[in-house]
Amino acid sequence: MPVSNWRVLLVGLGGLGCPAALALVRAGVGVLQLCDDDQVDEANLHRQILYGSGDVGADKLSAAEQALGPCARRSGTRIELVRSRFLPENARALAHGVDLVIEGADNFATKFLAADACHLESRPVVHGAGLRWLGTAWSVAPAGRPCYRCLFEDVPAEPQANCDAVGVMGPVVGIVGALMAELGLRSLSAGGRRNELWTLDGKADTLREVPVSARPSCPLCGSRPSIREIEEARYLPAAGASA
Amino acid sequence: MAVTVRIPTPLRSLTKGQEQVSAEGGTVRAVIENLEQKHPGMKERLLDDKGIRRFVNVYLGDEDVRFLAGLDTPLQAGAEISIIPAIAGG
Repeated sequence: MPVSNWRVLLVGLGGLGCPAALALVRAGVGVLQLCDDDQVDEANLHRQILYGSGDVGADKLSAAEQALGPCARRSGTRIELVRSRFLPENARALAHGVDLVIEGADNFATKFLAADACHLESRPVVHGAGLRWLGTAWSVAPAGRPCYRCLFEDVPAEPQANCDAVGVMGPVVGIVGALMAELGLRSLSAGGRRNELWTLDGKADTLREVPVSARPSCPLCGSRPSIREIEEARYLPAAGASA
Repeated sequence: MAVTVRIPTPLRSLTKGQEQVSAEGGTVRAVIENLEQKHPGMKERLLDDKGIRRFVNVYLGDEDVRFLAGLDTPLQAGAEISIIPAIAGG
């Protein structure tokens, strides 16, 4: 399928989503759906490269649509806006409507929700994360094994470090966001994907490929899966995508 | 027996910023105990009462130790252990 026919959903328009969106539009994907309901904050500007100081206070979707517009017109990409978080009630429908999901959410609940929804809808998904100097990116095949739950199992019960608390280096998420787009483009291309988790150490300037193994007891993709539908309680206590 | 442990950035506050440290031990469990002696607080970040925390992955070379013998995975001198935590953010 040519790139111009691809429909891609981008969850989270933050430090990862902004560079990924630019790369996907410039690659000429047919439709790029943007899913976020956050507003631009001044603290975002150092890493969320679609926004400028004039966008502070504006909703991210409108600002991103404006920033991506000239490129999208040149490449023939149609930008579609999903003015919502990626939530249990809309996750499967959103995943079902596209060929690929790129997930750059800033919280674990949304990451697990994206993993589950994409698996249940047999859609490929690329997960990305960045915190301080560390970034990760990982591409999972449609209904693929291993999946996000093979590696990280479940939404953590205890509070975890986040961008607000510990910060994130702009160049790290810039690199990882571009890598997510590359993994996504490769996932839909001939030659496909490998089961590799990429980790970027911005302090050591090292990018490593780590093989990931499927976990036999995985509740999503294991031999006896227990996750067969999206149940909101599974994504507590902090469901919702923003970045 | 000495092994090398690669420390991810979220845990480097425990190693005074070192990205890799040396540790002693014949198994992953022994290495973590040794890390705890040298870098207090490390064990709690890696283990809970069930073993390796769900949000942490410990690799021996290119193999997740969960798929080897877990904490009892034997180590050779000079082995490289990597710690890969789950992160969310962007």
